[in-house]
Amino acid sequence: MAEQHTPQLLRVTIDGIAVQVPPGTLVIEAARQVGVMIPHFCYHPKLEPDANCRMCLVEIEKMPRLQTSCSTRVTDGMVVRSNTSPVVQAARKSVLEFILANHPLDCPVCDQGGRCDLQDFSHEYTPTVSRFTELKRIFPKEYFSPLIETQMNRCVQCLRCVRYCDQVMDVKALAPAGRGTMTEIKHFGHHALDCEFCGGCVQICPVGAITSRLSMYEYRPWMLKRTETICPYCGDGCQFTIQQKNNELIEVNSTYGAGRNRGDLCARGYFGYHASTHPDRLRHPLIRRPDGTFREVPWEEALEVAGERLMGIKQAHGGEAIAGLITSRCTNEELYLFQKLMRVVLGTNKIDCSARYGHVNGIEPLRRVQGAHRWTVTFEDIVAADVLLLVGTNITETNPITGLKVKEAVKRRGARLLTLETLLPVRGSISNITTLSSCHIPVHPLGYGQAVNALVKAMIEQNDVAPQIREQAVEFYRTIESVLRTCSWEDLECDLGVSRYRFFEMARIFREAMRAVVLIGQGVLRASRGADIVTNLLDLLLLAGHHQRPGCGLGVLAEENNDQGAVEMGALASYLPGPVSLSDQAACQAIASLWMEELPQGPSATLPEILNQARVGHVRALYVVGENPLASLPPSFNVQEALERVEVLVCQELFLTETARHAHIVLPACSYAEKDGTFTNTEGLVQPVRRAIDPVGESQPDWAIFSALSVVMGYPIEYGSAKEIFKEIQSVIPRYALLGPAPTPPNVHQDVVDRYLHGDFQVDVTQRYTWPRLSPKSEKRLTLILTQSLFHSGKFSTRAKGLLRVQAEGTLLLNSTEAARWGLQPGGMARLSNERGAVSVKVRVLDRVPEGMAFFPEHFDHDIRILFQAEVDPLTQVPCWKQTSVTVEPQ
Amino acid sequence: MLREKHHQYIAAILKRYPVKRSAMLPLLNLAQREEGYVSEAAMKEIAAILDLTPSQVYETATFYTMLNLKPIGTFHIQVCKSLMCALVGADELIHWLEDHLGIKVGETTSDNLFTLSVVECLGSCATGPMMQVNDDYYERLDRQKVTQILDDLRRNGTSPLKSGPFMCPEPVPPSS
Ligand code: SF4
Ligand code: SF4
Ligand code: SF4
Ligand code: FES
Ligand code: FES
Repeated sequence: MAEQHTPQLLRVTIDGIAVQVPPGTLVIEAARQVGVMIPHFCYHPKLEPDANCRMCLVEIEKMPRLQTSCSTRVTDGMVVRSNTSPVVQAARKSVLEFILANHPLDCPVCDQGGRCDLQDFSHEYTPTVSRFTELKRIFPKEYFSPLIETQMNRCVQCLRCVRYCDQVMDVKALAPAGRGTMTEIKHFGHHALDCEFCGGCVQICPVGAITSRLSMYEYRPWMLKRTETICPYCGDGCQFTIQQKNNELIEVNSTYGAGRNRGDLCARGYFGYHASTHPDRLRHPLIRRPDGTFREVPWEEALEVAGERLMGIKQAHGGEAIAGLITSRCTNEELYLFQKLMRVVLGTNKIDCSARYGHVNGIEPLRRVQGAHRWTVTFEDIVAADVLLLVGTNITETNPITGLKVKEAVKRRGARLLTLETLLPVRGSISNITTLSSCHIPVHPLGYGQAVNALVKAMIEQNDVAPQIREQAVEFYRTIESVLRTCSWEDLECDLGVSRYRFFEMARIFREAMRAVVLIGQGVLRASRGADIVTNLLDLLLLAGHHQRPGCGLGVLAEENNDQGAVEMGALASYLPGPVSLSDQAACQAIASLWMEELPQGPSATLPEILNQARVGHVRALYVVGENPLASLPPSFNVQEALERVEVLVCQELFLTETARHAHIVLPACSYAEKDGTFTNTEGLVQPVRRAIDPVGESQPDWAIFSALSVVMGYPIEYGSAKEIFKEIQSVIPRYALLGPAPTPPNVHQDVVDRYLHGDFQVDVTQRYTWPRLSPKSEKRLTLILTQSLFHSGKFSTRAKGLLRVQAEGTLLLNSTEAARWGLQPGGMARLSNERGAVSVKVRVLDRVPEGMAFFPEHFDHDIRILFQAEVDPLTQVPCWKQTSVTVEPQ
Repeated sequence: MLREKHHQYIAAILKRYPVKRSAMLPLLNLAQREEGYVSEAAMKEIAAILDLTPSQVYETATFYTMLNLKPIGTFHIQVCKSLMCALVGADELIHWLEDHLGIKVGETTSDNLFTLSVVECLGSCATGPMMQVNDDYYERLDRQKVTQILDDLRRNGTSPLKSGPFMCPEPVPPSS
């Protein structure tokens, strides 16, 4: 029966057109393939069929009555009549007549007007006179939420919104309340909607029953100019369409199937677009007066002063006295040009970017163990995985769309999810990935090193090591085994508070996987010695024999939109574009000859090193592009002192940030919405960013500023457009290209893996698997952790008015038991204090926060930062400072 | 608070169903027996028990007209308004009750004693007009009889004129 394995195609004829489709195809989908559009409301390709609206009825030969084409699957030889059947035409008219019986027909004031399915179908099928003379149903208007508006009189009760919120988002915030025609979409009772605000229900509603409040009554679809571009917030790199009218941002949405996100967005993407045009945007170049105030100057003057002063430092003290910091929010072209400018024109290798805050902890181990600095899996592999291991990531809040892929794998395809994460599996208004876990082990934020130890130990001890490793890399697994012997189960159980059998169970499931994907998030990447933990997780993949299996691999979740690109463009200390290590002489030489320039010979420096050197006067000039170290690091890091000490501080920014206020020269830059370029997302896909609106004020794209500055400084590296820079990038990094919709991930380099397995692993194996014991929980103190919120990304999003409507301030989040223990009232104030200071914060109860801990959103850390002490990772120089311990009093 | 009070009963309900969500109606019923109506607190608790969101419990609760989502009086008077009863004077009876109690259908008397509702056929069509008060049926009603019943209820909390409930099987009493 060999034929059974080749999926047979089924023959079906639709309106006389024959087509072959795979088994399982719905009639409505088969029809679409041959260009027959069957009208529908409740059907949506993202959702399970529900067949509740009856709009899609068709005639199928040999079947009694009309059938719903959205829920009927094709059988071989099926003959379907849609547009060619008068019975079907009549049925459509009747269904529409029923739907319109209760529809207010208020198209003139409806935001959906012009792109409404009901309008279109009515136009096509309805007789102009309705036989219904009864009064229409009228729902009293109720306030729904700060961002989403409902107008239930328009609802056709297709339940797409409800099903999307459940099946795709796993939020389940919407309820079809009541029955029959009186069913209305509500949240819970009369409460305002409290959910993830992904905007999915707005996008999927076929009529104007659910709309965005941000753009209410502001447009008609045909007035809008559309630009496809990439979201500027997180590393997921969602594609969306910016819609503008007269250069004003009106709305953002994402077409079904578009981009890596396939049309889904999160709150930041859907409602966060106003950050770009915030009234505080810098509109003119500024030069600081001696009294500390700024005066507006023309571009020529600003560039001249900046160029002269930077060159002055170079001439007097050499390029090594100059350093540059750039944000990973810039495009690849800009990151590339910045490092080139710093090296070639200013003669320094001291360049670093925001990937230093954590992403680098993932990149280094990937390069070392498998020779690829990118994911070796794709989003499609996540969806197709049968086992997913998530380590230290509240993925829903940090990388929501990657999170959707995980949800899809688990909810719709039966994958098993394993989680090592601080969150407790408790439901709430925001979905919680750990509730989908089939094996969840709660981990203290300082305990990831030990938890991964336990997992590796469990795998080795229950003989789960793959035969090929057992046979070909004896040394490798024996060494790890013996190192882990010194780390006893008793100690691990005591520190982690979990029985060893949970780890045995997790290791077993992981080992048995056919397609295993590991995703690592901020909990690990921002932790001290995060790179060790990632390397040990790569060991786990090797031990399980998954490293060479297709569809298996490890991904590190990028926090900022272009963390991955920043690394690849050589904006990270000790790397040239590629990334090519500065210690790789031959590769460096190749780049130098391509550039036809000498590369500077001086050392590179990481962000903490740059700040240290500035503080002691070794770095005299700082060129800061979009980075804001003063607000990104705690006061104990002494950034202020470094900024005050440098002789020249040039800041290129969207806003007059804390750091920019110290600048001598401030250059106004464009946001992503005003420029062209590319971003590289977390999975390594290079995607085009397109200019949607004109630059705000006199601001300029960062690359244009670098280019102009190089001219002023007398070493012109000029480009006419971002495209030209991209071309040059492609010559420096072969195969750096827009990878198209389905990227082929880079492969694991077997030679690198072999080198690692047969020697390189030994360099640090003992130290990597040695973790300090966790100190026992203190009864008198609370562990305070700065976490990322779903509604914000860094500090950029705190300028988006839409997002501020959902979250405008930071609140202390702790569970109800913990709140009671400290005598705190929800909504009341708490005073947090430790050796470094004291602050007052508002309290909110969130039951997914474990005992002994409290979370606070890092985006609003302005006052609370003083409580934290930064520690610099000795290995990767990542400043780790997101947790501290405090005493708490009610106030 | 449902969980504290009816721990074992809830466990017994949950055991009956392979899918947790199926236990929703028995739990909603339990909540209504407890407070006379299904409160928001109860819906949230049921959501937690069944691993659902409050919205999901709410949508089911709003579907069933027999679940009250607002507090009701001690005695819930439900008068049948379906055809058979209507033919023998249900409308008149409803109007009379409204006047007599000083409330409209759907309202509760200020002393919190009576809530008046109208419902569809209760299966006693041969003995209309009829009404159900809490779990009891009162049939072949006329003004005099209803006056008597209301007086009894006010005074004793029950009335000998009742003719039910004839439920089969008898509902399982919540064990505490
Ligand atoms: S916006 Fe809220 S209610 Fe709408 S689909 Fe997203 S999570 Fe659900
Ligand atoms: S609100 Fe829109 S999506 Fe939801 S049921 Fe009504 S018509 Fe359908
Ligand atoms: S923030 Fe991330 S997940 Fe959200 S829309 Fe933007 S890229 Fe997508
Ligand atoms: S689209 Fe088929 S029934 Fe709604
Ligand atoms: S019609 Fe009243 S009980 Fe049946």
